[in-house]
Amino acid sequence: MNYKLTYLLLLGFFLMGSSFLPQEIGQTNPIIQLNSDLEFTAGDEIQLKFSSTSKTIPKLYVSNSYGSTVLSATIEEDALIYDLTGIMGNKSGIVNWSFIDSETELSGYFYIKPKATVKSLESYLGPPSIQAGGTDFAMMVIIPTDELDNPLQDSTLVTINNQFRVSEDSSEVPTRNFLAYKNIYSPERTGRILIGSESLGVTSKEFDLNVLASLPANFSISERRNHMYADGNQIVTLTTSEILDDFGNVVEDGTFVEFFISTINGGILKTSGATINGIATAQIIHPDQADEWTVKAFVKGMAESNSISFVFQQLFNDFEVSFSEDNRTIVVGPLKSFMDQLIPDGFDVDLAVFNGEEQIQTINKQTLSGEASFKLNPDIFPEGNYMIKIKTAGVEKIYKSRPLW
Amino acid sequence: MVNTNKAILRVVLVLSYIVLIGLVVFGISALFSYLNTGADRSNMLHTEVKKIDQYLPDIEWSELNNLGREISQTTLNELENDYLDAWYVKHVAFMTNIETGIDDYYTESARENIFNIIALNKADSISIEGTTLSHQPTLEFYSEDGQLAVITDRNVLEFKRIYEADKMVLETREVSTYKVLMLLEDGFWRIRHMVKEEVAPYKDEIDTVKLSGEIKGINYYPQGSPWDLFGDYFDESVISDDFKLIKASGLNSVRVFIPYEDFGKANVKKEKLNKLKLLLDLALIHDLKVILTLFDFYGDYSVLDWTLNREHARTIVSEFKDHEAIMAWDLKNEPNLDFDSRGRENVMAWLETMIDLVKSVDEIHPVTIGWSNAGSAPLLKENVDFVSFHYYDDIDKIGETYTNLKTSIEKPVAITEFGLSSYRGLWNPFGHSETTQAEYHKIAQEQFKNLEIPYMSWTLYDFEDIPREVVGRLPWRKNAQKQFGFINVDGGKKESFNYISKD
Repeated sequence: MNYKLTYLLLLGFFLMGSSFLPQEIGQTNPIIQLNSDLEFTAGDEIQLKFSSTSKTIPKLYVSNSYGSTVLSATIEEDALIYDLTGIMGNKSGIVNWSFIDSETELSGYFYIKPKATVKSLESYLGPPSIQAGGTDFAMMVIIPTDELDNPLQDSTLVTINNQFRVSEDSSEVPTRNFLAYKNIYSPERTGRILIGSESLGVTSKEFDLNVLASLPANFSISERRNHMYADGNQIVTLTTSEILDDFGNVVEDGTFVEFFISTINGGILKTSGATINGIATAQIIHPDQADEWTVKAFVKGMAESNSISFVFQQLFNDFEVSFSEDNRTIVVGPLKSFMDQLIPDGFDVDLAVFNGEEQIQTINKQTLSGEASFKLNPDIFPEGNYMIKIKTAGVEKIYKSRPLW
Repeated sequence: MVNTNKAILRVVLVLSYIVLIGLVVFGISALFSYLNTGADRSNMLHTEVKKIDQYLPDIEWSELNNLGREISQTTLNELENDYLDAWYVKHVAFMTNIETGIDDYYTESARENIFNIIALNKADSISIEGTTLSHQPTLEFYSEDGQLAVITDRNVLEFKRIYEADKMVLETREVSTYKVLMLLEDGFWRIRHMVKEEVAPYKDEIDTVKLSGEIKGINYYPQGSPWDLFGDYFDESVISDDFKLIKASGLNSVRVFIPYEDFGKANVKKEKLNKLKLLLDLALIHDLKVILTLFDFYGDYSVLDWTLNREHARTIVSEFKDHEAIMAWDLKNEPNLDFDSRGRENVMAWLETMIDLVKSVDEIHPVTIGWSNAGSAPLLKENVDFVSFHYYDDIDKIGETYTNLKTSIEKPVAITEFGLSSYRGLWNPFGHSETTQAEYHKIAQEQFKNLEIPYMSWTLYDFEDIPREVVGRLPWRKNAQKQFGFINVDGGKKESFNYISKD
């Protein structure tokens, strides 16, 4: 509306100007404008007519929204006719003109309005996915253009329809700044919103907008083990409950969950998993000595779980050690597991050799058929008395003075 | 034997075949790799479009209050760059009637509109040299996904010069309002729709500023660095001594020159501004006023250069408009000498635009143009605040020339250069002696006193070397130019020094 007012004012100003100009210049200005049309429609026949008493036929400079050119006149019944139909008359906006002639100081302008019919609805929807919950939104922008690619006049009504599950919504938006737009807010459920628009009988194609789950809410976790013994061999599986957002939607696949495990000694272990259908699973191997684990899971910066604890029981409190071959061969075991079966291969055994207070070497071996055997090399350990410490499953045995020869 | 020979022949044939195929493959691959060099994949992303100053109209955004999403300053800068570049490529396209560059700044459907007009103009051999001097855009709308923006650009001051068959037929200044819809497409903001919403003829409302105080001055270059006042030889103590001498000799003002390129064109160098400030401060200390002559050694005047020229002038004028030593702005030294080589209408339109600019930045100090002779002095007298010209003709007629001019011009008139070379030697054995030079200045001062003519003489010193840019290579010109001074190359005062001022 405001624009119309400005335009009317401009028109008035122009009328005053054009009726006043020829009088002022009087005799020196032999050209008078004959048609006083000040508004044309794009694509129509647009002609400016002037009566002239001059012998020369002046050319006319015209300038529209995109550029300028110079037109020559045709003469019909003593009138000079400048034809702007076509390139200069197809684009909407103000066209100003003036004579290229030292004698004729006549100039003016008129307005070309776009056609009142829609050829296409240029639509832009972005961003393509939004988060459920009603705060996030996408914007649908529609630019109705006529068949000459002019944006339609402001206040052209555009109907924007959107559908989600059973609800359908429709709103009429008048264009402003060439375009009509609507913010489409997310519902509380995930899914797909379909959007279409219509203006002056022309309809757009269908657009779709994905509604993704919102941020995860707090969840719970559980553990699963084959047995409760610290055998350093079996695997603990940590699983989350189905992680949901605040509105009950399952969070998007691939949501990253980190599990933090605090041991009884104050150590921290970490494992992680990504969700599939809202559930994340992570695995970690049993400890090899008695322990109590406290586990809590996090989706970093967004949600956390409850914390759970569970205990691992010691496999044995004592083990056999046999020395042979000048005490240089030390066999630990056979080590027995919780049902007195041989411990699975690969159980850690540490042996440390001291000469007085000085620790000379620590050797780590894994069990094979329940036994770990160590050989003390005479090049490293010359004849003498050594202290030997053997440790496995958290149990330590010390031989204070063992002669090696 | 036969078999052995056959075997040798076979081997030779097979080997030569392999070598031949090898050479052919090598040749083709060399050609192929040659054709694939040069194109860098990263170019596709426009990550490194180098920005050079080629188009710098005044641009003043209104306060951001747009519909849709809030815009960041970085995005707004990108939008502004691409929007101005869109104008620039359009000016170039209409000037040359070549479509280059339009693709980068107009969407596929929008560029058709420009191509159509170019085709029309090309067929009628019309070309349009245009530029825009100022923009006042308002961001109306910025979409949520940051891909679409609408701006209303108000008070777009457009200058256009229309040529038909290489002959200028019209020069026009228009003030327009455009509404523009832009889309972000593969890294460029491109214009999708553009609608002219208002247009009005340009009216330059110029308030005349009065020239205050009388001018008794001299054109100044230090003896050691003629035509290079702000260069490497800039020396405060030398300038200070010279200003002291000038003041003591009874003068009250100096005219100095600001070389356009040396000062950095559109990007005026801080270092040069500092030197200029030192000079003005020294003038203030010695109670001298300064006329600053802009655009020295500039001679392009082409319309697409205007925004850069304006940026240059705006930087200097706004920096020093409040400096108490400033007396006036001399827009350009002797622009009428460029009429033949650059086209009178080019120079005149340029001057008019630059006067408007300087006056819009500095409303206090008067503006003039240092015409090279009295004949050109009435040009643009409506636009300048006082008229100035240079006089190197018969000294006996200086008063008469001034009086004649004064009757036709209502504004103050000043002679900002006059003088006589005392060179007599190989290249001009019948030149003037130092006595004749003194006589010349004596007559001049008498006339100035009788008719109250504001004056500035050329120049304080004789120089040992004249740069080629000033008068060319010809030795008789160079040598004459060396000896216009009141003080000779050895530092001794010439006879003329007695008549350096009327007191």
